[in-house]
Amino acid sequence: MMSMDPQSRPALARGVRLRLDPITCEPVLLFPEGVLPLDAATRDIITRCSGQATIESIVVSLAREYDADPDNLRLDVCECLAELRQRMLIAISK
Amino acid sequence: MNYRPYLLLAELTHSCPLHCPYCSNPVEYPDGRELSTTEWRRVFEEASQLGVLHVGFSGGEPLRRADLAALVAAANAAGLYTNLITSAVGLQRPRAAQLREAGLDSIQISFQSDLETVADQIAGTSAHALKLQAARAVRELGFPLTVNVVLHRGNIDRLEQIISLAGSLEAERLELANAQYYGWAFRNRAALLPTRSQIARATEVVAARKKQLLGQMDILFVTPDYYSERPKPCMNGWATRFLTVNPVGDVLPCPTASAIKGLRFDNVRAHPLAWIWSQSDSFNRFRGTEWMPAPCCQCPWREIDFGGCRCQAALITGDASATDPACALSPHRQMLASFVESVQKDSAAIPSFVADPGRFSFRQNPK
Repeated sequence: MMSMDPQSRPALARGVRLRLDPITCEPVLLFPEGVLPLDAATRDIITRCSGQATIESIVVSLAREYDADPDNLRLDVCECLAELRQRMLIAISK
Repeated sequence: MNYRPYLLLAELTHSCPLHCPYCSNPVEYPDGRELSTTEWRRVFEEASQLGVLHVGFSGGEPLRRADLAALVAAANAAGLYTNLITSAVGLQRPRAAQLREAGLDSIQISFQSDLETVADQIAGTSAHALKLQAARAVRELGFPLTVNVVLHRGNIDRLEQIISLAGSLEAERLELANAQYYGWAFRNRAALLPTRSQIARATEVVAARKKQLLGQMDILFVTPDYYSERPKPCMNGWATRFLTVNPVGDVLPCPTASAIKGLRFDNVRAHPLAWIWSQSDSFNRFRGTEWMPAPCCQCPWREIDFGGCRCQAALITGDASATDPACALSPHRQMLASFVESVQKDSAAIPSFVADPGRFSFRQNPK
């Protein structure tokens, strides 16, 4: 099994769709067994999971957007991605 | 509270090629003719306007509907995520390809065991080999695959092998769902409920394999609430997030709600879905906390578990508004506890679904 590291490239897993909830206009993930409304932080991470960007470049991009130190974001981003991956909502490649 | 349905369970037909004795379909099927393609299309459009984002096509066996691809396309056009919940009997490759073409997003296939002989005994028909073929076709066509295995006393000791089977099929998800005791399953519960030690072993196996398969397969294991101290937060609260439309168009707050005698369901042929969601007696009957008797009404958990499951309260106590006896605080707890104890003595006798037919009612199809 592939482990996750800063050079991994996350993408939405097979069968997972990101869309705007037409009622709340907030983003939601739709996946085989359900619906997951996203908070703003998760949305900002997920929208960067293109399959091209590495985890490290996602951290840098978020740091720029939030005007924050990447070192303060890295752990949160990795935890969020690990949880999404555990639920098979994102997949990673190198 | 703002009630909004997110998920629709579309029970397309009660007909099914399998006869599993734990089926949660009603033991008495509702009268009436199945909804037509056009009627379902309207249901999907109305559901989408109401806030539904996800539809599960279920049954019975949804593949028994010749118009399934048209129904998938209609739900897709209404903007819904589409999931097929199937036995896979009838899911040959051309049919799966047709559903892919129609925009189907994902497929969940049920398995009864990892062993063909046992699986076919449980299903009451030769289905296991067909399921394996179908699962491979599903993967080749690029669908995400969920494997669902209903667990009971007769298959729970083979969890290791069942997990390996799902792994070999490259399923993204494996639902290890202990039988829920409604419908046919309630009738057969004395032969189905695993023993306490079986559940303990199963919990260990799942925890170990879950860790091992992290990032490859998500394993969901639901233990039977008969063994818990607190009831399950059934449906996340009555009529808060889910809608079920049954084959003849009755709209139910949960798929097993017809177990509650005296609850009257409204039908999509008579009312718009939005009216039913907000006005139907059956939806409003147990919404919120006002309906709760003691001890639920003063309980600090009342907004967490919502007093448990109404259908279970009705089946076990005869009163749908009673506290779910799966709760240790229920005044009827003993009715559940004595049943659970009666099952422990059976621990050595893993039932054979064929050798001991007197102990089971296999699920029958509507007339």
